[in-house]
Amino acid sequence: MALNGDDEDYEWEPPTEAEMKVIQARRERQDKISRLMGDYLLKGYKMLGECCDACGTILLQDRQQKNYCVSCQEMDSDIDKDNPALNAQAALSQVRERQLAAQTPEVNDAPSSSSSTQASGSVPQPRPEHCEGAAAGGRTPLPPPAVPPPSAPVPATPLPSARPPAPPQSSVFSPVLQDAEEAVLTKLRWATAQLQSSASLEASIQLCSLISSCANSLRSLKELSQ
Amino acid sequence: MQQSTLIKIVSALEAVVLRSFGPEGGQVLFTRDTGQAMLSRSGTCILSALHLEHPLARSVQIPLSVWKHSRGTGDGSKTFILLLASLLRGISKATSRGPSASNANGFTEAAKAAAAPYFANKLLKLASSDLDDLIAVNVVPYGFCVSLEDFTTHSGRLLLASFFHTRVSHVHCSYLSELTCELLNRWKYKSDLPYISFQFLSDNFPALHTPVSGFPVSSSRLIEGQVIHRDFATPCLPITPESSIVHFSAWTERSLESVIAELQSFGVSLLLSAVKQSDAAVALATQAHMSLVECVSEEELTLFVQLSGVTPVSRGCTIQLEHVAALSLCRPILLGTDFFVSKVNPCSLVICGPGEEQTDQYICAIRDAVCMLMTIWEPKHTSETTASCGTLQSEKGTASLDMTPTANKPYGLKKCVFEPGCVIPAGGTFEFLLSRALPNPSSDTNGLPSVSQLLANALLSVPRQIYSHSPKLFLQAQTRIMSLVQNPSNPFSFGLKESTPGPMVDLGLESVTCKYQLILAVVQCATSVLRVDTVLHTRTALHTQSKKHTIFSRASTEDEAED
Repeated sequence: MALNGDDEDYEWEPPTEAEMKVIQARRERQDKISRLMGDYLLKGYKMLGECCDACGTILLQDRQQKNYCVSCQEMDSDIDKDNPALNAQAALSQVRERQLAAQTPEVNDAPSSSSSTQASGSVPQPRPEHCEGAAAGGRTPLPPPAVPPPSAPVPATPLPSARPPAPPQSSVFSPVLQDAEEAVLTKLRWATAQLQSSASLEASIQLCSLISSCANSLRSLKELSQ
Repeated sequence: MQQSTLIKIVSALEAVVLRSFGPEGGQVLFTRDTGQAMLSRSGTCILSALHLEHPLARSVQIPLSVWKHSRGTGDGSKTFILLLASLLRGISKATSRGPSASNANGFTEAAKAAAAPYFANKLLKLASSDLDDLIAVNVVPYGFCVSLEDFTTHSGRLLLASFFHTRVSHVHCSYLSELTCELLNRWKYKSDLPYISFQFLSDNFPALHTPVSGFPVSSSRLIEGQVIHRDFATPCLPITPESSIVHFSAWTERSLESVIAELQSFGVSLLLSAVKQSDAAVALATQAHMSLVECVSEEELTLFVQLSGVTPVSRGCTIQLEHVAALSLCRPILLGTDFFVSKVNPCSLVICGPGEEQTDQYICAIRDAVCMLMTIWEPKHTSETTASCGTLQSEKGTASLDMTPTANKPYGLKKCVFEPGCVIPAGGTFEFLLSRALPNPSSDTNGLPSVSQLLANALLSVPRQIYSHSPKLFLQAQTRIMSLVQNPSNPFSFGLKESTPGPMVDLGLESVTCKYQLILAVVQCATSVLRVDTVLHTRTALHTQSKKHTIFSRASTEDEAED
């Protein structure tokens, strides 16, 4: 039996602290999903016998026979927060990682960095506080070149900070921004194709709003790369 | 079967019932599009009202309602879900302590899939064989027995009050428990065995109560006689003590006059009919100075037949003396805005409430209280009941369930092993004591955690939830009970006799038998859902819009054919 055999493979070690954090975060997320599902059940939603294709959560159905997935449509995705194109915090972490990796070869950036720091007039930390979930930002060491945060391409969450002057290290950003632009353009192309073939009013309205938000994202990205 | 899916489902159900759990829980108001509303704190009512199509969800929902209706305890359905969720989460956690991430995922999944039913079977074995002894040795000594003669004293009222505390608002608890005590007192004469009178009350409860909306609950009272929930069809005539009555199931118009003449010869003055009579019959009855009540419900007729010992007249039958009963009192009464007829000796309960929803809630609560008392005073060594097994197989619904295990382990195996009337202070005492008593071996032979530890951890989730508004109280309660266990000569112990209950009793009382049966039912339900291997979606010819789900279970039913 699988439980008894293969003892040499079955050496259980307690999870590390990082794993514990992940487990804890997952558990909290599951609890939240259960609570939300309970709320919807009490509102009269029906629990279906199917699971969502994307995340595996049980699907609910409202009175209008429309299927609804609690975790996809209401909760932030588990992995979206790591996607730089969607999350300012993740983008900032990625930028900082690259800078840390490129830190030692850079020796002539001190004057420009101090000037840009004073020019931006912001706190020494490069505005992670204004990003979503900013607590982790304070822990990482400040890289010598002060960098302005890349603005989130999602137009729904505009950063309240002023746009600082572009740093000389634009080469660090362009891969990130290019990726983001590519992603948005792809989505725009897809939405346009869908819109041309769409026959439903509701779908057309939603596609148009998607196109306009893609356009906004592209505009923000272009402003950033200037 | 994906354990995670199962846990998600049960966690969602748990999230639904947790709001109403415990004495501090809230009420849920359900409304229909027709405007009809239902107000409830009963776990079974809440869960039955949900729309659940997932077969695993229904496999939890259906046994709960079946268990309640088929001589279940009337109480504990929210605790059922809470315990089930904790148990399943504990089993999942235990089975996921697999190899580290570096090993192939496939092995982990296979081990998990095999481990869960293994745990379930071991749990079932523990619950069926050792649990009652553990409870008898480690929990029962800290409680006491309430005899039925003393039921109407402090302990009996306390028991009912703590039950009502979890069902209705705390303002009405004591009043309703007084009312129920009075009702039980009045019906005690029925037999020497209290259990029989409780069973009688429980079976005939629909005919023994009258809901009246629009009045405060303090207007509820007991009235003499059985209330027939219909008005007289003929003008009410004075009934003298020598009058007699007979009731009919049906009759034909042709023989009306001869029938009336025959009734007159018996001196009948009141007719109870299960159906609506024709105008001619009503007119003839009026002429013959007989009062007539039509459309009497089945339950009321059954109750009347039981109380008076007569047999009803059916179609084609000639009237004999055995169809005629003697009654001492018959009068119309006005309850609320409806007219009723009241007769014979026993008493009936009138339950008032400000609105229909509250009245229904009180009625449900009293009915479940009677059911709970029936369980508490069930005589020891009653034969095994397979009531749940039988009714489960007749419950098909949209899911074809094969969760009833094979015949040698019927679902709902209940043996009364404790003294009737055994109670223990409420507030988590039972759970603390039992979790402490469950054996805690250092490790199982396979290196997996022991099932008794799983059960102990699951049990502790109940008091944790009771004291969820104040974790400090949880720790205090735990400390208090552990110190009592370690120091039995403590003067503040619970008290083994009813006359010296001790301060703990102020928390309320709960029944040991009900708790034991609850744990058994939870373990059985967990076992049956964990044995499910896979869910297949099929389409039936009849229901093209919906899918019919079939569950296949493994192990002991390998040769089960598909439906």
